[in-house]
Amino acid sequence: MLDFEEELRKFHPSVEVEDAEEAIFSQDMTDIADALIQVIGKKTEKEDGE
Amino acid sequence: MICYNCGAALSEKDFCTSCGAEVGMYKKILSLSNRYYNDGLEKARVRDLSGAIVSLKQSIKLNRNNVDAHNLLGLVYYEIGEVVEALGQWTISINVRDTKNIATDYINLIQQNPGRLDGMNLNLHKFNQSLALCYQDSLDYAQIQLKKILLGTPKYLKARQLLALIYIRLEQWDKAKSELDKCIAIDTGNTITLRYIREVDQMLAPEDGFNASRKKEKEKVRVYQSGNETIIQPVNHGENRAISVLLYIAMGILIGIAIALFLILPGKIQEARASSHEELRIVSEQSDAKTATIDELELQISKLQAETERLNEDLKEMAGKDGAVGVSDALMQAATAYVNDPNDIASVAEALELLEVPEGEEETVKSESFKVLYDKLMELDRESLASYYYDLGYSSYRAEEYAEAIPNLRRAYEYDNENGEALFYLGNAYRYNGEEDKAKETYAEVIDNFPDTERASRSETYLAEINNQE
Repeated sequence: MLDFEEELRKFHPSVEVEDAEEAIFSQDMTDIADALIQVIGKKTEKEDGE
Repeated sequence: MICYNCGAALSEKDFCTSCGAEVGMYKKILSLSNRYYNDGLEKARVRDLSGAIVSLKQSIKLNRNNVDAHNLLGLVYYEIGEVVEALGQWTISINVRDTKNIATDYINLIQQNPGRLDGMNLNLHKFNQSLALCYQDSLDYAQIQLKKILLGTPKYLKARQLLALIYIRLEQWDKAKSELDKCIAIDTGNTITLRYIREVDQMLAPEDGFNASRKKEKEKVRVYQSGNETIIQPVNHGENRAISVLLYIAMGILIGIAIALFLILPGKIQEARASSHEELRIVSEQSDAKTATIDELELQISKLQAETERLNEDLKEMAGKDGAVGVSDALMQAATAYVNDPNDIASVAEALELLEVPEGEEETVKSESFKVLYDKLMELDRESLASYYYDLGYSSYRAEEYAEAIPNLRRAYEYDNENGEALFYLGNAYRYNGEEDKAKETYAEVIDNFPDTERASRSETYLAEINNQE
């Protein structure tokens, strides 16, 4: 038997148009490619320093 | 694929042939992002939208500049009714590549119809309200709200799932099943939908095992050989036939009674009511007609009474006319008596007394011929009559019979206005008879008509005495 309260918690309010801008800007857009580029960049700097 | 460092096109090497940067891992990440995109696309094509969302998000997590992944994710969001999420993905996509991007068309399509966008936004708002109502345990209101939302946006998956959940909570399994079927048609791979369906299916068919055993029991048959043939006969079929017939008869009787109670009887009652209403109406109409007749008859009675009264009045008038005729007769009688014997004054006087109008009554109208005859008679016999009445009156006066004296003395004075004696004695007769008012009037008349006479002087004295007595 489903637990209604538990199931209800899985539903989240939909984002309304008024809040769209904030929702877009607040998204974490960091991707793995960026992370890799940062790692490579740091590694290159370290090698150049040595 | 371009180099993240210098922007030059990459070759199959693990480094950039232009700037020498290491791109081996970078190329693998971009390839993985593309693979996730392809996976998402495949899932979207078979309407596994939930699976597609997971894959496309993964693709974007690996490479945020994957425009196709953003665009497809936006489309998937739009399909399940999450308009703002879709717009967000398309906006990011345009931000990454602002030319030759299909996302521009998608956004333009929505923005060109602001009414539709407002409607969608209103539905999102209503959904949030419904969710809040669910938390407040106002499931009825939430249910109504969600139904309204789904009329405008039938593919709003989250709203439909919430409605199904409310039905499950209210144990309206058929309705929940119907909603979940629609949910699965929108998104075939949604785990929430699938879990709810499993729950509802269990509730809708809990007796599957029992049914199966019953079926097996029913399928039990008796098989035996008859000669070369194999006879298959259901068990207990023959034994139950009589009971079945009785049961059918009983059911038939019950159905018949039910039909009589619920269909025929109300009709009969209605018919009887209608009949009684009709009779009541007829009686009422007859009563009204009789009342009208009674009113008419009463009117006729009052008219007849008025007519009777009028006729009585006429009769009285006629009687008055008869009286006039009587007066004429009296005059004729007096004239006849005079013609027969001019010296028989008593007969003439007796007849003329009939002409006298009683005190308080109006004198009747006399005809011209009456007046002529009367005047002629008076011309011939006035003095004799005056003398006759004076003698009679004075005799009674002397005999102290004042009541008899009064009319004769009055007549004597009427026939002869110069006879002051008659008037004086009349005043005395009134006084002695106790009629003091008339006595005063008569004395006053004597004083006025016969001044400077002894009678006037005595009248003054008697008048003063009467006044002093009062």
